[in-house]
Amino acid sequence: MMRSGIGETFKHLVLLIGVVIVIAPFYMMVSYSLKSPSEIQTNSGGFAGSQQPFVDEYCVKLGNPETACTVRPAVYNYVTAFSKAPLLRYLLNGVVVTVSIFLIQVVVALPCAYALSKLTFYGRDVVFSLVLFCLLIPVHAIALPLYIMLSKVGLINSYAALIVPWTISVFGIFLMRQFFLTVPDELIDAARMDGMSEFSIVWRVMLPTAVPALLAFAIFSVVAHWNDYFWPRVVITGNQDLFTPPLGLRDFRGDLDGNDYGPMMAIATVIVTPLVVAFLIAQRRFIEGITLTGMK
Amino acid sequence: MTGRAQARTVPYLFVAPAVTLMVVILLVPVAIAALLSFTDYSLGNADFSFVGIDNYEDIFSRRTYAKMIASSLIYVGVVVPASIGLGLGSALLISSLRFAQDFYKAVFFLPTMAALLAMAIVWEFMLNPTIGSVNALLSAGCASPFWHGLLSGAFLGVDPATSWYGNACATGFPLWLGDRAYALGSLCFIGVWQAFGFNMVLYLAGLTAIPRELYHAAEMDGAASAWDRFRLVTWPLLGPTTVFVVTITTIRSFQVFDSVEALTAGGPSKSTYVMMYAIYEKAIRQNLIGIGAAITVVFLIFVMAVTLIQRHYVEKRVHYS
Repeated sequence: MMRSGIGETFKHLVLLIGVVIVIAPFYMMVSYSLKSPSEIQTNSGGFAGSQQPFVDEYCVKLGNPETACTVRPAVYNYVTAFSKAPLLRYLLNGVVVTVSIFLIQVVVALPCAYALSKLTFYGRDVVFSLVLFCLLIPVHAIALPLYIMLSKVGLINSYAALIVPWTISVFGIFLMRQFFLTVPDELIDAARMDGMSEFSIVWRVMLPTAVPALLAFAIFSVVAHWNDYFWPRVVITGNQDLFTPPLGLRDFRGDLDGNDYGPMMAIATVIVTPLVVAFLIAQRRFIEGITLTGMK
Repeated sequence: MTGRAQARTVPYLFVAPAVTLMVVILLVPVAIAALLSFTDYSLGNADFSFVGIDNYEDIFSRRTYAKMIASSLIYVGVVVPASIGLGLGSALLISSLRFAQDFYKAVFFLPTMAALLAMAIVWEFMLNPTIGSVNALLSAGCASPFWHGLLSGAFLGVDPATSWYGNACATGFPLWLGDRAYALGSLCFIGVWQAFGFNMVLYLAGLTAIPRELYHAAEMDGAASAWDRFRLVTWPLLGPTTVFVVTITTIRSFQVFDSVEALTAGGPSKSTYVMMYAIYEKAIRQNLIGIGAAITVVFLIFVMAVTLIQRHYVEKRVHYS
């Protein structure tokens, strides 16, 4: 009894060291986003800093009186994050891109998955082999030819460039097909008896049964594309209006002056928070969604 | 009958958009990359010529590309075993706990949710030699006899001057991302930090699928120690999970880009010049499409080989699942 108690304590000790290392950058990120430039430079002030108001030099340079430019560090960092960089615009772009990608993926994948699992037609095996083959090709790996194609049709620096390469989720087709295979045929036969067209069977019978799988796939897709940096970096070259959140952060870091570490960390915090909070609220669902690739 | 005719065309209407997109977005680009890898094509340049296998020869003969292949392989070679080891280790520890399992699981999974670019920038900040907290913490340990004794190995009778920590205390801690000897290692660390929680979750799922009775049976057969039970029951039954985890971690590690682009830009002196970054820099920034396409083809061959090996294993081990 005594020994297992020691063993348990030891395990917790080892895991807690892991916890500290895993949490450290999150802790530092939020901490820096609250501190004043001087506290960041000297690594002082604990977690939240002293929140002693300081004079914003840049604001004084613009010709404002010093009293109007005295700000609290946390307020300064977050206000600067939203004013100096069009962070709201970035976030909006992120939402537009991730939501569009997911919706188009579903519209394309669902009928295909239904046909592959519940309809018999000549060439079905060929289509399914094509799906299995395309699973081998990661989109990031063929970024270069995609970039060339998009620039040939003049789509570089557009929402379309951010969305189009992701409209086909071969994995989504595969996943939904596997799911539909478990749906009993009687359900579909009954719908046909009721005179439903194949088209409405997909959207009014199959879609509702697939909600759990779709939710998991939604999490998988949204997390991947909200956090994606590589692809936006390739196809958005300089047009700030189209920046996604990671691009915006990278751009802000690119022309950084000493005072802006705090605001930069504020931007990072704003970008990371939505998914982290959503994850903490619905852990089981998120873990299911992200590890979807594991349920083959 | 029109109904019949319609029933016959419906499946094709359903698969048509997906098939079209698969061909245009996935297959055609692979073909384009393969074709362009034999040319000196560049965007905005109307004419180009076929240069045979020159681009491939460059990849396998020039020093820059030798460094590229080396840094990609080192990155994969470090991140894959480390993140799988830590993933499996933490899964085994967590699954044997009596309480707080969910807490550790949630914490270790957090990095998977956070944008790697943002977290890489935070790590860069922490690794900053002057204002970063990592070196501040390490050098604070030098002043404390306890930590110095422990970390430099002096407690074990090692001469502090010969150990890494003791030496660093005397001569200063590394610049990490700015030092050729440490940059790739620092990026690997960030990669492992991000990836191991994902692997842990997959292993936890694998562990819950192992029937309890097997452990009892193994014990009856004389597998007394925990190590024996792991070796005889846990590890073989986790085989399918391991095959999958190895594959996905390998493919993801090959694709590392965010941290490289933001923190080191391939440097110092090309020590972190991984393949995805090389494609980006050569082909997209410098418009050297031919060589970029050749790297893309080599890259695709690596990734496809890994997946095909996985499928081979999965088919062989089907009886486990």
